[in-house]
Amino acid sequence: MKYTKSILIIIIFILLFCLLNQLVKPKYSETLREGSLTREYYKETKNHEVIFLGDCEVYANFSPMVLYEEAGITSYVRGNSQQLINQSYYILKETLKYEIPKVVVFNVNSMREDENQKNEAYNRLILDDMKWSQEKINLINTSMTSEENFLSYIFPILRYHSRFSKLTSEDFTYLFKNKTNSFNGFLVNKNIKPYTSFPTKKTLANYTFKSENYEYLQKITDLCKENNIKLILIKAPSLYPYWYDEYEEQIKDFALKNNINYYNLLDMKDLIGLDYQTDTYDGGLHLNLYGATKLSKYFANILKENYNLTDYRNNKEVSNIYNQKLKDYNKLIKEVNL
Amino acid sequence: MKKTINIFIAIFIIILLTTGCGENKNKESKENTTYTFSYNNKNLVLGEEFKKEEIGEPLDYSEVASCAFEGLDKTYTYEHFELTTFPDGEKDKIYSIYFLDNEITTNEGIKIGDTKEDLISKYGDNYQQEDNLYAYKIDKTSLKFIIEDNSIISIEYSYDA
Repeated sequence: MKYTKSILIIIIFILLFCLLNQLVKPKYSETLREGSLTREYYKETKNHEVIFLGDCEVYANFSPMVLYEEAGITSYVRGNSQQLINQSYYILKETLKYEIPKVVVFNVNSMREDENQKNEAYNRLILDDMKWSQEKINLINTSMTSEENFLSYIFPILRYHSRFSKLTSEDFTYLFKNKTNSFNGFLVNKNIKPYTSFPTKKTLANYTFKSENYEYLQKITDLCKENNIKLILIKAPSLYPYWYDEYEEQIKDFALKNNINYYNLLDMKDLIGLDYQTDTYDGGLHLNLYGATKLSKYFANILKENYNLTDYRNNKEVSNIYNQKLKDYNKLIKEVNL
Repeated sequence: MKKTINIFIAIFIIILLTTGCGENKNKESKENTTYTFSYNNKNLVLGEEFKKEEIGEPLDYSEVASCAFEGLDKTYTYEHFELTTFPDGEKDKIYSIYFLDNEITTNEGIKIGDTKEDLISKYGDNYQQEDNLYAYKIDKTSLKFIIEDNSIISIEYSYDA
């Protein structure tokens, strides 16, 4: 009897501990929607022929709904805020456990980063709701800032205990459920903030990408080859941070040496029809819904004409799923002010 | 068994106490010594609040939002330099000062176009070099010079926020 009582106390303690962990963890539902992107992938039907990989320049700029509507392409965006190239590599590895796409589109913006993640908050957005796997363990180990520790990823309460005094209704509403914020990894933003100016293009001491970034780009390339996936490199048409000519040359060299197609969509902004007075929600860093729609239509045609992808609009099973998504998507962009 | 429970709870409390939460890292009190740049007889101290009214209206102004979080990095362009701030609560603090031409000097008298010898005569040789970048550091502030063909082509003050 004595032992039963003690075991019961331990079980209650563990349950309470788990509940508190869940309570203090950010919910990424109504606020900080970007934190929901990693977890939303797990709920998806895994039949995507195209996977977009990269940072905010993919989740804000490419709409899989438009790719489907335009060319019947099934795609998903596995991008996160400030997702560095080492993180993209592990996200891709994880993705390949669920599905093998025909094409991976990697945005090369993160190649210019010369340091590891400096802001812990971005690691949390990517990792907090990632399913546990060897990839997650590796990702944490390669991403952690010097102030972070591994244990706090296992027990969020160790990191977020100070949120006890800042809990909001969102924390209780989404304690045991989540809100889906994206459409196949694309975050809709309808705001318009025209381009005005950016800081001066500074002289850099060194324009060469750091060797670690090259290593991960090679790993992504090799991983795609091993899985018979066509890798495409792109530079999304975001005006800032600056994409120097020296960066462009290095990517072109890498693409040529590895027989990879590279599209600098920044150079194609006029062909795409982008107007940075109306097509961006933050003055030219990210495209809004209108800009993303133009870009996605343009890119859908590149994919359709060059990469032998299936037009799933003629597939009843898949089209049923996507038509419902499209209905929800069109309803959302008409009714909600995002 | 009671002993086991006590040990269990003790371990939990120790972990909780010894694990840093990391949330207040940006709120550390600032050290006294930093690099300072003077303009219009006002000292612009890196990491301190920027008070635009003290040095006058800029020629241009731009904002850069972060990917997911609230707050803007603001850049004020003056005739000879560009000053960028970062948000810290309600305040905008000075993050960097970047020289645009050779019409201004650092407080120690170095300007764009000076030589490496000029630089060392003013700042000494206690710099950190990476390629052609020469960085002098005091606590959380850096003064960085890029030198090409023995001529300074870039000068920037920056703060490690």
